[in-house]
Formats: sequence, structure tokens, C-alpha cells
Amino acid sequence: MMCDIFAISAGYNYTPQKYLPLFAEKSRHNINGWGIGFFREDQAFVEKSDEQVFSNQQVHESFQRLARVIDSRIIISHVNCPKSGSRHLSHKHPLMLSFLDHTWLFAQVGIVEGIENYETVQEPRLEISVYTARIFEYLRDQLIIAHDRNPYISLFAALRLGIKNLLSEYPGYFAFFLVNESVLFAFYNFRSLSILKKSEKMGDVLLITSIRKGLSQNNWQTIVPEDPSKGKLMVIAGPDVLYAADV
Amino acid sequence: MCDLFALSANRDYSAPKSLPIFAEQAGKNLDGWGIGYFRNHHAYVEKSAKGIFVAGRLHDSFQRLARVVKSRIIICHVRLRTSGLIDECHAHPFVLEFGGYEWIFAHNGKAPAIESYKSSGIPMKEAVSDSARAFEFLRDHLTQHFQHSSDVASIFNALSCCISEMIVRYPGKYNFFLSNGQILFVFTNHRQFMLLKASKKLEGALLITTVEKGLSDEKWLRLAKSTSRGGMLLAISGTDIIVRQPL
Repeated sequence: MMCDIFAISAGYNYTPQKYLPLFAEKSRHNINGWGIGFFREDQAFVEKSDEQVFSNQQVHESFQRLARVIDSRIIISHVNCPKSGSRHLSHKHPLMLSFLDHTWLFAQVGIVEGIENYETVQEPRLEISVYTARIFEYLRDQLIIAHDRNPYISLFAALRLGIKNLLSEYPGYFAFFLVNESVLFAFYNFRSLSILKKSEKMGDVLLITSIRKGLSQNNWQTIVPEDPSKGKLMVIAGPDVLYAADV
Repeated sequence: MCDLFALSANRDYSAPKSLPIFAEQAGKNLDGWGIGYFRNHHAYVEKSAKGIFVAGRLHDSFQRLARVVKSRIIICHVRLRTSGLIDECHAHPFVLEFGGYEWIFAHNGKAPAIESYKSSGIPMKEAVSDSARAFEFLRDHLTQHFQHSSDVASIFNALSCCISEMIVRYPGKYNFFLSNGQILFVFTNHRQFMLLKASKKLEGALLITTVEKGLSDEKWLRLAKSTSRGGMLLAISGTDIIVRQPL
């Protein structure tokens, strides 16, 4: 049993009343809590719970209500598995940090060896002792260093370099979503991600999840890392994959 | 030669400082001007066949629009005719709808070879110029991408491929902006683009122009293709360069 992640990206504010509950249902074995991250007028918000996302054949009531109310161009969600350690609410993903003129949300699944010892040189620190917080801080630090060296470096190039350094210092197998109010970065070097572009009344949306075979009967496309030692990074803008490349 | 200016920001922005300076710097361009922007996911263009800066005075409408137009992405073009008639139809930017978006396109350069291009889609009959044909070429080839590619195919790569093909089949000088309201694509294979982030004197958004010395005495970054490459393509979201790649 593993944690799972799910994200929706659209070119307009989208209400995930259909797909978030489907994600909860497919993640029913992940009993250690859940979190949803989204944006309102470019401000990031996170709602979390340490309760089960699905029990007694029902999606958690708050999760369901949030799915009906959230209205955001980018939405990410994470459900915790029992293996992921602490049940403390503050340890749930998505985590939030502000840097490089954005508020960023981060949700991750998988293992990175030794990263719990990483000490960030930047402020603010995430005052929680979970390795996902250290991964997020590490990537934040790398992005800031790259931008200090070259303020016009592309975000994709800076993040790819940061992940490369992370993998070389702290090898691991993981997948994550790193998002700001405009774009969604997805990295994976283990398991697979399932992806679907769907037409909705207001326009297309792109759905991406770690749930195998996706959330519905539609033709979800499964993407697997070609070279797990490197992994793949993609950036999604609106309902389109803008760019993807090996790390 | 024509000149281009674009503003990209994380929220709706006006360009009351930089647009008039751009118009003044590009004052030799006597054959029309246009401003393109997005509102509620729709593309709008205001354009004129008149000189932008005549007898030491900025065109009245342009001045007013510079104060009023408000959008995450603003694209401006001033024209010195090298192809097509001098009338409003031939002033840039142009708008076409495809792939679920309304796109704005503005071009600077000279590519007489592409004037013979016959579009497989609906032609822009009113405009008989290299720029109109180049936009049709990009529209026709990107439409194929949206219709036939998988959900994970990258739009950046699709655009990069079709620009490469366009340059091989119809060699010429192409500098252009292409935007769907989410991403501002910037391509150059001649002259340069000057880029500035976080200006203290102009707007704090990302500013980009073909005007050789930029629009202020701040430290503008010069972007040009390297001599060994066919061009350079950028994808910009908000104030960030997301992807930057030589062709």
C-alpha cells in the first residue's frame, strides 16, 4: 500500500466535484488522512484531515464538500498510506512554501534515502520532521540557487538541475507535484502516472494521478519512466503538457 | 523593420509606462500598430493603419489604450510594411481560433517565401502578407497536434517541430509572439529580443521587446539565436521563463 497523488489543471477555474471523489474512492486503502491544495485569486490554500478519505462506502464528508466548492485552475490532492509515518495533521501534504514570487504547493509519494538529515539554508523552514518537507526545502533551495546565479534561467531547467542534484545526493524512488498558481510540474522515477485530457463544458482539463489505470473507464494514458535512474519531468500549463524531458 | 513588445504577468496588468516608450522607440514604424490582449479567455485586438508616432506625438487611441488595456498577456506590434498593403487588416496582431484556444500572433521579420503557402484550413483572406501565411502555417500544423497527438504530447515540442519545418520549407526572418492566453511563446531567428523582469522604472511584469536597447536604462537581457542554431523558442508563463530551447 502506498500514498497517492492526484492533480487537475485547467485553463479556467475548475470545480473538481466529479474527479476528487473518484480519487478518494480509488485511494480507499490509504487510511491516514488526506489533503487538498488549490488557489484562489493566486493565493494558495490547503485543507487537510487526519481522518480516512473513504470509509463505510462513503467519501469523507468534508472532502466531498470541498470537491463541490473549490474553484481553481490547479488543484492537487494527496492521500496518506499507513507507511508514511506520523498521523499528525501538519505532516499531511500538500505542503506550502513561498519563494521566487510564488506560493508553491508540494505533494509527494515514494522514498528518498537519507533526506531527513538535510538542513536548509533558506528561510522559512518547514518546522515538521517528515522527509517530504526536507525534499520540498531541498528543491526550493536548488531553485533559489539557480535563480541567484541566473535570474533568467527557465524554471524547467532550474528544477531539472535541482532534481538531478537531489537524486545524486539522496537517491530515491518517488513522484511529486510542485505547483504554483500558473503551472504544474510533475516528476516521477518510479511507479507510473496516469494522465487524461478531458473535455468539459467550460473547456478541457488535464487530470494526472499515481493511481494505476486512472480514475475512470476513460482512456487514461499510462506513462512510465523510461530510465528510472533519472526519471522524467513534465510541466503542465492549463489542460496541456507544455514540455517533458528526462532528468 | 517592424517592432514587437509583450508584457506577461501573473495577474491582469496594464502597461501605461512601457507601451508609450515602446511606441516612441519604434517611432520609425509608420504603417500601423496593434495591441492584443485577453479577457475571460477571449482574445481581443485593437489596431490601426495609422502611424503610431507622428510629428512628435503618440497616436491618441494608442495612448488611451495603453492606460486601459488590462490582461495577463499584452502583445503590441508596430509596423513598417515589408509585405502586404497598408491597412487595418494587415496590421498585427492577428487572432485565430484553434485547439480549444483563441491565439494572438504578431510577427516581425521578412519571409517572402511563405507568401505562397496555401492553408489547409480557413485562410485569412483579408490579409495578404508573409505574417498572415506564417500564422496560418502554425495554426494548420498545431491543429494536427491537438487533433492527433496523445494527451502527453508536449505542445512546446509540437510548436518547435512546426517552426523548424516552416523555416526549412519557407526560409526567412521570423521573430514572433504567439499566445493562447496561458503561455506566451516567443521565437527568434534574427535580430534579438530584449527581456526585463521586475523593472523598477516600468511595470514589474516580464517585459520583452525587439527594440535593441530595451525600453529603460535598466539591465535588459539580450536573447538571440546562437550562430550555429536555427532559432530560439521560449515559453513564458506569468513572469517566468518556463522553457527555453534552441532549435
